[in-house]
Amino acid sequence: MAEKQKSERVRSIHYVLTLFLCIAAVTGVGWLFRYLRFPETNIVVVYILSVLLTARLTRGYTYGIASSVIATGAFNYFFTEPYFTLSVNDPTYLITFAIMTFTAIITSALTSKVKQNALKAQEQEMEASALYRLTNRLTDAADISDIASITIRTISDIMDCRAACLCFDENGYPEQSFIQQRNANEQVRRNVDDSAAIKHRIENLRTAYDLGTEFYDWPIYGRDAILGILRIPKDTAVKMSEAQMRLLRSMIESTALAMDRFRSAQERIKSREAIVQERYRGNLLRAISHDLRTPLSGIMGTSEMLMGMTDKKDNRYALAEGIYKDANWLHSLVENILSLTRLNDGKLVLNKQMEAVEEVIGVAVAAIGKRTPEREIAVHIPDDVMLVPMDAKLIEQVLVNLLDNAVKHTPMEKEISINVNEDREKNLAVFSVIDRGSGIAAADLPHIFQMFYTTHGKEPDAQRGVGLGLAICESIVTAHGGTIEARNRGDGIGAEFIFTLPMEVYDHAE
Amino acid sequence: MQNRNENIIVVEDDTQIRNFICYALKQEGFPYTTAGTAQDALSQLVSGQIDLMLLDLGLPDFDGMEVIKKVREWSEMPIIVVSARDQDKEKATALDNGADDYLTKPFSATELMARIRVALRHLYKVGGIKAQAILSVGGLTIDFDKRLVYLDDAELHVTPLEYNLLALLFKNIGKVLTTKYILKEIYGVGYGTDTQALRALMAGLRRKIEQNPTKPRYILTEIGVGYRLVDE
Repeated sequence: MAEKQKSERVRSIHYVLTLFLCIAAVTGVGWLFRYLRFPETNIVVVYILSVLLTARLTRGYTYGIASSVIATGAFNYFFTEPYFTLSVNDPTYLITFAIMTFTAIITSALTSKVKQNALKAQEQEMEASALYRLTNRLTDAADISDIASITIRTISDIMDCRAACLCFDENGYPEQSFIQQRNANEQVRRNVDDSAAIKHRIENLRTAYDLGTEFYDWPIYGRDAILGILRIPKDTAVKMSEAQMRLLRSMIESTALAMDRFRSAQERIKSREAIVQERYRGNLLRAISHDLRTPLSGIMGTSEMLMGMTDKKDNRYALAEGIYKDANWLHSLVENILSLTRLNDGKLVLNKQMEAVEEVIGVAVAAIGKRTPEREIAVHIPDDVMLVPMDAKLIEQVLVNLLDNAVKHTPMEKEISINVNEDREKNLAVFSVIDRGSGIAAADLPHIFQMFYTTHGKEPDAQRGVGLGLAICESIVTAHGGTIEARNRGDGIGAEFIFTLPMEVYDHAE
Repeated sequence: MQNRNENIIVVEDDTQIRNFICYALKQEGFPYTTAGTAQDALSQLVSGQIDLMLLDLGLPDFDGMEVIKKVREWSEMPIIVVSARDQDKEKATALDNGADDYLTKPFSATELMARIRVALRHLYKVGGIKAQAILSVGGLTIDFDKRLVYLDDAELHVTPLEYNLLALLFKNIGKVLTTKYILKEIYGVGYGTDTQALRALMAGLRRKIEQNPTKPRYILTEIGVGYRLVDE
């Protein structure tokens, strides 16, 4: 700042000198005119010319106005009787002085204004062309550090300094080194010693830029993160004018835009790759599951038939039953994997139609009844027919999975029930499956809908699950635009699974 | 082991499942032949006397749907389709193309035999069911001449649409009727595939004939396919 003040002072001395030189020169010319016996009006006009010149050669209104007053004073002092005093004999001169001062002030003001406008236009043009040059070069950038390098080259060129740029990585951390312009054609990489401190300083920045010991640092803000910092050497930064500051800000903005654009393009590529990989994995899983399904059906049918042919007390019955149960378990696993890969593929088209809630529930309850005939499941639905848009087959699967879960965790004689009602306010159908089983452990609650999550801390072989059933439920309900949650019952032990489905058909789901 | 004389063809490419089905058929005393491909099945159908076909939809050479269409060009023999769980659309299409019933893998021998029995009963009653004036299932009775429905011997008031629906189900007792077929029969061609009206109609009918609509005794829902009136 001190240097800036110093240069300011040098400039004002220069302007004051200009002012007095003009006045002195014009006074000289006035003497000459008087010697040649020109009328006095000429001298007045020449004084006004001097004011004009001063205004032209200096900056701001101050010098022009001062020059007007001094010119009038000088005319009075040198060229009106009595000479070499500020008094006048002829009072009509007072009017001359007033008009002269006035004219001079207006002239100087106009001149200053014209000059200022010209300067501004010139600055703006420079800014525009500098920005244009920068953005033009940035379009060819191959990566982030290339963008940084182009930016500092352009800025160094315009500001005549050795600008530098420190990029931040995708996680928002400063890189290990930054690029600096060494001379017109050369850039160097310098290590950062205190990247953590820099990150902290920049993130907690309250002003437009950070004052460092070697550099002043301007953060480059992206759409949702800091992309880097632009470093201007201190000695250049302190001398920067308003206009240069403005230009620098615009250039940083352009850089941020270019970096953002590059980043999002890169993210797009990455996510596309991830999708391809995910799809490949899904396809593989699906192909395997598909091939497993048919032989498993055969094993199930055959072992069931073996059971039918054997007396229940025979040891062979238990063996056949074991085969059947394992095959059944494997089969449902395979079916679940198939459902899940189809759901998560994003290619699943919901076959949404208006379905009667009672029918879907009826079918789900019947399916459970087939597996465990002795189990009673209570159903509570509204008396009026309730039609809800859904893919009935998928919602049936949700209900079967939830009921299956309830059956597994609830002692035979305890209650399991399904309730459905309509939330008219939110226009939702609310389904709940509740049981009087052991409930859900607090540690499991947050993860219960995660894929392949199985409960910990139980005896290993008690209830074999693979943790796909609830994940499938969540995928299906979410695909319908609904929500699902699990919690323990408020009225005693037992778990409660609640899911909602919108009552209206949304076009985007079609 | 009783001896039956209906010849059944098992069209299935998976040996394990084919063996299982054949064994079940042998237990029940049915004569049978097998085919591993659609081509093989068609040539056997042309040359031999076959009364019923068990058809897997996923055949190696060509689509089971084509087999159904070809067979229906010259034969009314019962066709029971065997399919995987995620093939509901194919199931419905197969039924609309003329298949009589379907089985979803994995199925038990008991289920298989039940379906075969229903299909064979239809075979003998072709024309017979429609000619009968009065039919009943459990406590539910329909009188086609008088257009009346009785539940446990008491006359039941049903709307004309409900009567038509029930009559349609009775005429196809034990068989799965697709939603599309029912819509066409009840509301006429050009009604489209809007299921909403049928769901509401069915719900109303069930409230009259079923004690508990969520645990139906007479009309069973086949999710994604249609409805079936039980046959015993």
